[in-house]
Amino acid sequence: MGGTMPSNPSVGSDSAGAATQPLLVVDDIYKQFETAEGPVVAVDHVSFDVAPGEFLSVIGPSGCGKSTLFNIMGGLLDGYDGHIKVAGETLRGPHASVGMIFQEESTFPWRTVVDNVAFPLEIAGMAKAERLDRARHFVELVGLDGFERRYPSELSGGMRQRVSMARTLASEPKILLMDEPFAALDEQTRLLLGDKVLQIQQDLKQTTLLITHNLTEAVQLSDRILVMTYRPGRMKRMVEIKLPRPRSSEIVGSDAFGHYVAQIWNDLREEASKGLKDDEARRGGTRR
Amino acid sequence: MAAQSHGGNRFIWQQAVPVLFGIACLFAVVVLLEILIRFGFINRFIVPTPLDIVGSFGRIIVDEHVGSRFLLTFGEALGATALLTVFGISFGVLLHRVRLIRLATETWIAAVASAPLVLMYPLFLVIFGRSALTIIMMGFVSALPPVILKTLEGLSSTRPVLINVGRSFKLTPSQLYWKILFPAALPTIFVGVRLGMIFALINIVGVEFLINFGGLGQLVNELSERYDLPGTYAAICFVILVSVVFFIVTERIEKWLRPGA
Amino acid sequence: MAETGRLTAPAAAGGWAALPLSRRVLLLRVFIIAGLVVIWEAVAASGLLFRDVVPSLVTVGQALVNILTVADYKANIFGTEIMIPEFFRHLWVTAYEVLTAMLIGGLAGLTVGLALGSNPFLSGAFERFLYYLGPTPKIIFFPLMIMWFGVGPGSKIAMGTLSCFFPVVLSAAAGVRQIDKVLIRVGRSFRVNTWQMVTKIYLPAMREPIVNGVRLGLGVAVIGTLLAETKLSNQGLGYLIINAYTIFEMPRMYALLILLFGVSIAANALVGRASRAK
Repeated sequence: MGGTMPSNPSVGSDSAGAATQPLLVVDDIYKQFETAEGPVVAVDHVSFDVAPGEFLSVIGPSGCGKSTLFNIMGGLLDGYDGHIKVAGETLRGPHASVGMIFQEESTFPWRTVVDNVAFPLEIAGMAKAERLDRARHFVELVGLDGFERRYPSELSGGMRQRVSMARTLASEPKILLMDEPFAALDEQTRLLLGDKVLQIQQDLKQTTLLITHNLTEAVQLSDRILVMTYRPGRMKRMVEIKLPRPRSSEIVGSDAFGHYVAQIWNDLREEASKGLKDDEARRGGTRR
Repeated sequence: MAAQSHGGNRFIWQQAVPVLFGIACLFAVVVLLEILIRFGFINRFIVPTPLDIVGSFGRIIVDEHVGSRFLLTFGEALGATALLTVFGISFGVLLHRVRLIRLATETWIAAVASAPLVLMYPLFLVIFGRSALTIIMMGFVSALPPVILKTLEGLSSTRPVLINVGRSFKLTPSQLYWKILFPAALPTIFVGVRLGMIFALINIVGVEFLINFGGLGQLVNELSERYDLPGTYAAICFVILVSVVFFIVTERIEKWLRPGA
Repeated sequence: MAETGRLTAPAAAGGWAALPLSRRVLLLRVFIIAGLVVIWEAVAASGLLFRDVVPSLVTVGQALVNILTVADYKANIFGTEIMIPEFFRHLWVTAYEVLTAMLIGGLAGLTVGLALGSNPFLSGAFERFLYYLGPTPKIIFFPLMIMWFGVGPGSKIAMGTLSCFFPVVLSAAAGVRQIDKVLIRVGRSFRVNTWQMVTKIYLPAMREPIVNGVRLGLGVAVIGTLLAETKLSNQGLGYLIINAYTIFEMPRMYALLILLFGVSIAANALVGRASRAK
């Protein structure tokens, strides 16, 4: 696995172009779950690389196994075939270089904003004054300065998600994994938070992998987008987004943007409607 | 807090009026009682007038040593609470950590929680003698099951995503317990401890009253056996005062444990 | 208690880990019970405590059988006289007191709770007082109840009512407030009247908190009634238990306690089932 070319030939794409060592290698991952109705294949032989500084999104309909992939890459789930390498090391359990941001609200309600953000530093054994100082820097980075001493329950959903983001960034991960971090937010907040993510990503040159089902979000943020099929989750296509950087949410109005969205939706529509039919069939089956 | 300062005058207005109305109603009822009793509509040998009750406050404090009795009852409650916190929470943690023990005993504990254990007080009387220890142990035993059950509930209802956050930061099992599970469960555990304290208080004062020993429960019993009506009512007012203080203190602690909520 | 079971269990069973979970749970339970019985019998045989305080379980069992089978009371049931064990008369008295208390206190609590929960003004004015009185040990009101309602079942019913009112009213008020507001708007949009609003929307939507309140209420009502009976009464289970203690018939007291706990646990489980039944 020397190059960054995806090993699966059915995935029409090209590499990010860099000759550097990939930071994350996902090699032929296969995962199935045992359910009451027999085994279900969640992830079916998925392989790709993420280069340093790259922003890659994985997009697919609900049920394409993207959250399973997220948990596998984060080291929270095992019992899969294939392997994951982070900075050349094979993954066994959670890795210090991988930071995770979860879909569900995951701030600690018993800690203030700054204490939430200082959490990974506290675990690493950093002295109190130093870690609070560092934490304040990351609070500022996500634009929450002035809210350091507030508790999560006093913040809005979007602000809480930014606290989670700052907390993960404070651990200075080499690669940032995000699982639909804005799924619970409204569209405007989502676009504005997207700007924040873009800005942070560009400032920190943060290698990022985003799991999402939102097209606009994926095109707005990514260098490359991996489109997944509905159950079993296979790789359908890798699309390179050649929009100029630095970007902002203003790009959403451009023609090129619309072109990418239309192109990916074309791939996605088929899969999404499969998912919808499958879902309805399952519900119908229990009704009868 | 932000909401309060934002709401301004209108917020205070909406809060204060009902509270003032409530206090006014309480006051009106007291005045009405005074009048009804004065004019003989209510037998004053069954219900003494509020003024008589207030008048006997001084007597209760000076002659009946209500202060030291309060301290005794308070001390017993404190002892029972200490035992409850230590043993109740440890048992809850044990049940949470060892699934086998939980499966074997959780339903039993839930069943015991609904049995009136305080009726065992004669047994405690024989074992520990007619002493404060009997009362503390009775309060402790009868209030233990809810503390265990709430601790277990709090620990097992921790949201999985918080545990995943901990795992993603590579926490050790003991860090996971102390930094995530325990703080997440703390508000629920405190609800259990508070419930336990109420049960303990009910049983402690109940046993004091029944075996005529100790603090405030005995005081009510003695005064009523002497047919000192205003005194009995005054002592009851004092016990109510204690429970008001108890409620306010525990409410504060609960707010403090759920910051910002 | 659990420790004894845990320590002895693996030693006794060779392939402990290989056993299925349900079997291990069953074994652990058996070990816990066996351990308790052994400890009890050892204390009984050693005579460390007064021998009579911890009697052998055999004598407790005999007392239990006696209580349930020796028909020593002439009961008049629907005009026919039959002999029944006296225990059942006392059980009936206590059950009657508790059930009446639950009916009065429960209904009052429910009504007041609904009013407080749905009206912010009333709740702001009066709910505080209820929270303050909630943790008050109700037994201190017993001397007053005797004066107001006499020494018979009346004062015990009053004690039970007073005890169960508070948990019910507080959980009903909190229950109203936890109802999803959209359900109430749906009701309004269908122009239902107040009675329908209460029976078709409020009560079904708050079944769980109400059942929890009633369970808690039942528990404290039983305690209130029984404590009152032990203090001053000549009938009921509380009287029976304290009487067995006064004449120091310990096996009989234990047997009565076992029966009392059994009945209370069953009653509580019955109310709990009501929350799950469709």
